Amino acid sequence: MSRATQTALVRDDRTLYEAAAGTAVGLAGVAFAAGLAALLGVVAIDDPVVGFELSVVFGAVLLALGVAVVGFGMASRLGYVDAAPQPSAGIVAAAAFTGIWVAVGAIVSGAVGLGTGGRLGVGVVSGGIAFAATALPREDIGSTVPAGTVTVLCGLSLVTGVVGPGWEQVLVGYNATLFGDTVVPAIVLFASLVSGWSAAKAYGGFGARGRNVGAYVLIYLVVCSILAVLVGLVAFVTVKGLPGLFNGFGVGSAALISWPFLTNGAGLLADIAGVFPALVGTVWLVIGAVLFAVPTGVGAAVFLSEYAEQGRFTAAVEVATNGLWSTPSIVFGLFGAAFLIPRFGNQKSLIAGMLTLGFMLLPLVLITSREAILAVPDEYRDASAALGVSKWQTIRSVVLPAAIPGVTTGVILGVGRIAGETAPILLTMGGGVLPAKSAAPDVLGSFQLSASPPFVSNPALLEATSALPYQLYALITAGLSGNIQNPQEYAWGLALTLLLVVLAFYAIGIATRYYFRRKLHQ
Amino acid sequence: MSLPPQTDWRASIERRLTGTREFVDDTDPEALAAVLVSMGSLLAAFVGFLLASPWTAVPFGAFLIATGYGWARHQALVARAVTFAMTTVTLVTLGLIVVFIFAESVPAFRYETASAFGVSVPGLGMFTQARWDAVSDPVRYSLLPMIHGTVMVTAIATLVAAPLGVAAALFIAEIAPPRVRELVKPGIEVLAGIPSIVYGFIGFTVINPWASGAFALNGGSTYLFVGMVVGLMALPTVVSVAEDALTSVPDVMKNGSLALGATDWQSMTSITLPAAFSGVSAAVLLGVGRAIGETMAATVMLAGIPRISEPLVNVFYGYETLTSLIARGYGSANGVHESALFAAGVVLFVTVLCLSVGSQYIEARMRRRLGGVE
Repeated sequence: MSRATQTALVRDDRTLYEAAAGTAVGLAGVAFAAGLAALLGVVAIDDPVVGFELSVVFGAVLLALGVAVVGFGMASRLGYVDAAPQPSAGIVAAAAFTGIWVAVGAIVSGAVGLGTGGRLGVGVVSGGIAFAATALPREDIGSTVPAGTVTVLCGLSLVTGVVGPGWEQVLVGYNATLFGDTVVPAIVLFASLVSGWSAAKAYGGFGARGRNVGAYVLIYLVVCSILAVLVGLVAFVTVKGLPGLFNGFGVGSAALISWPFLTNGAGLLADIAGVFPALVGTVWLVIGAVLFAVPTGVGAAVFLSEYAEQGRFTAAVEVATNGLWSTPSIVFGLFGAAFLIPRFGNQKSLIAGMLTLGFMLLPLVLITSREAILAVPDEYRDASAALGVSKWQTIRSVVLPAAIPGVTTGVILGVGRIAGETAPILLTMGGGVLPAKSAAPDVLGSFQLSASPPFVSNPALLEATSALPYQLYALITAGLSGNIQNPQEYAWGLALTLLLVVLAFYAIGIATRYYFRRKLHQ
Repeated sequence: MSLPPQTDWRASIERRLTGTREFVDDTDPEALAAVLVSMGSLLAAFVGFLLASPWTAVPFGAFLIATGYGWARHQALVARAVTFAMTTVTLVTLGLIVVFIFAESVPAFRYETASAFGVSVPGLGMFTQARWDAVSDPVRYSLLPMIHGTVMVTAIATLVAAPLGVAAALFIAEIAPPRVRELVKPGIEVLAGIPSIVYGFIGFTVINPWASGAFALNGGSTYLFVGMVVGLMALPTVVSVAEDALTSVPDVMKNGSLALGATDWQSMTSITLPAAFSGVSAAVLLGVGRAIGETMAATVMLAGIPRISEPLVNVFYGYETLTSLIARGYGSANGVHESALFAAGVVLFVTVLCLSVGSQYIEARMRRRLGGVE
């Protein structure tokens, strides 16, 4: 009976404890964000905050967090609060804290001035103590005391100024130096992570629920940082690229819209240098790759899922397709250079680039089309067959229309991927660093018929052509300089244009998927 | 002992022959002719293309005409033949890649012949000494410095991509509420779409100068930050493959655990993750493959000197990887030097292909086990 009261669903006495632990998690989160800001140079660690240097304030916060975390564990162990800890913190936590404390022991003893042997010894001893302190006592002590003490130690080193602004440590033999500007934020990030996890466990009352909360805090942090990196990257390129992209942009002059960056080349005649030839090159590149890869990939998917019997042949094709999917793009480039270039006039050419990217696109199209065709319910095929419709007619008028949403989405996402590829076209297509407007390929206008083999020719397809990603690479290798007014601004504008082209494909692809999915669920 | 398989073999051939004969008898001869002409001319066009013959256009034209005619008159049979031809394209492509990059790399392997235990092994010299110098004597083509660079970058990238990727996959597959998932999943797909040269450009103009100042380095090329950037690029691969594996664990298994009163995290660590372990490790392997093959960010951010860093684990200096060696050197190289770049390509291709086949094997095993066969 007494047990029943202990695990009652409503436990009033824990609200204060939970509030304290929740506050500690929040404080750790703030410290993490501030540490990140310091690492990125948004704030400096010697900026004064309420009369103290920022690094001292960081130290005080970590000190408070560490003490609080140890306090949570003690309060639970001494029975002041009603938590549900397990007999041990578990082997994963023990291993993690052993690793952390081996490092801490080695670093601290190194700072004191011990040699390699001494550092190793101290590290092993402190790691062993941490292992015992984590694995042996009950979970509420095991997952708070090692975490709390390491946080306190980090806090002390910052408060006392052992590590702070102006601190530096030469890494002998590495030819590198650690400075306080990077080490202080790193210490803050690490200690806030450890103490935040421990406080989250305390918030959940240890045990299964505490572990759940602790793990969720870490996972949410990971996902938030991934999304932050994504948003940060796109925002950064946008802010840096806008001046170049809209250089000389105007509405309502001679033409309706004048956008010199997109409609000019970079020749002497253009007063504002633009990326027109590379843009046209990328468009033709994508068209060529799609014309080769989409019919081939969809046809192969139809054969594999509708005609072929599952056996060695289909297995071999599947292995080959996945192998091609993971083949590095530079290997496709080598292949294009060795196989296609000698067959198309012995020089880098647009068509060699098209086919190389087509080879890269093929496995993507094949995999997604096959999934889409397999997802068409067999009832459709059976119903069609029951009406006496032939197999091919069924495929053409039942299976393929039903699979079109998946195929379209896969193709668009695949195109987005290859449109930004640089390595293959670097080896097969080439082009100039700053091509003039006249260098833009005119594919449709240059087909020629002749009386001798190969009877049809197209010089535009056989010439080295620039594309957006290649031009960006060429600009970088040219040291971001060239015969234009502001090469830096031009390069960032080019990067933004490329990013927008690729992201447009992704946006369209993802939107298509939503559109078809909503239509399907109506 | 060898009789039964042989008779099986014979019987299967006979069965095939009768099958073919019946098929030929049953099919309209005109349709059969159209298909034969179309496939024959396609094969001829392929051979012509391989031989770099200017007459390739002729059989290709014949293929188009025969297929067009057959499509109009006997669509079903022609469609079947044409889709079969398209299916072989992947196999043919992979075969051509193997043949061409291996063939181009032969001179370099010959040049770097070294003897081990009295036997001379072509290509051994690429791995037994550490000098790559294509210009000054002695001209040697060791791949060791670049392999070291690739290993450093891949190791750091894996340390970034594997834990973050698996955590994000858990989030998408198990934790996130539907609305949040609809936001995070496309977000990670978009991360896969950011072109590698854009990452490289940011690394070259922002990260390298920053690292140079922050650690007082000679130059800003570091394996540390190249590895982190490459890890970020391999992350989406890990996330999407691991997420597929996690969602393929049947709901009944998770529900059973939850019904016993386990928390979500307990169900994940003791049911979902162990059940999907093969799939998740396949995801990490594929991520490693992506990291090994990543080219542009490494090319733009690394110093481009084929040298092994000292000490071996010095992450503050970055010299060259296999991929960046090819991207940087191709075009200005010729002769044995160019062939050595193909040899680097062979090493890359074989490594990544092994990873791909390995991860497919692991995934197939997981599907069999979850299907309840094993």
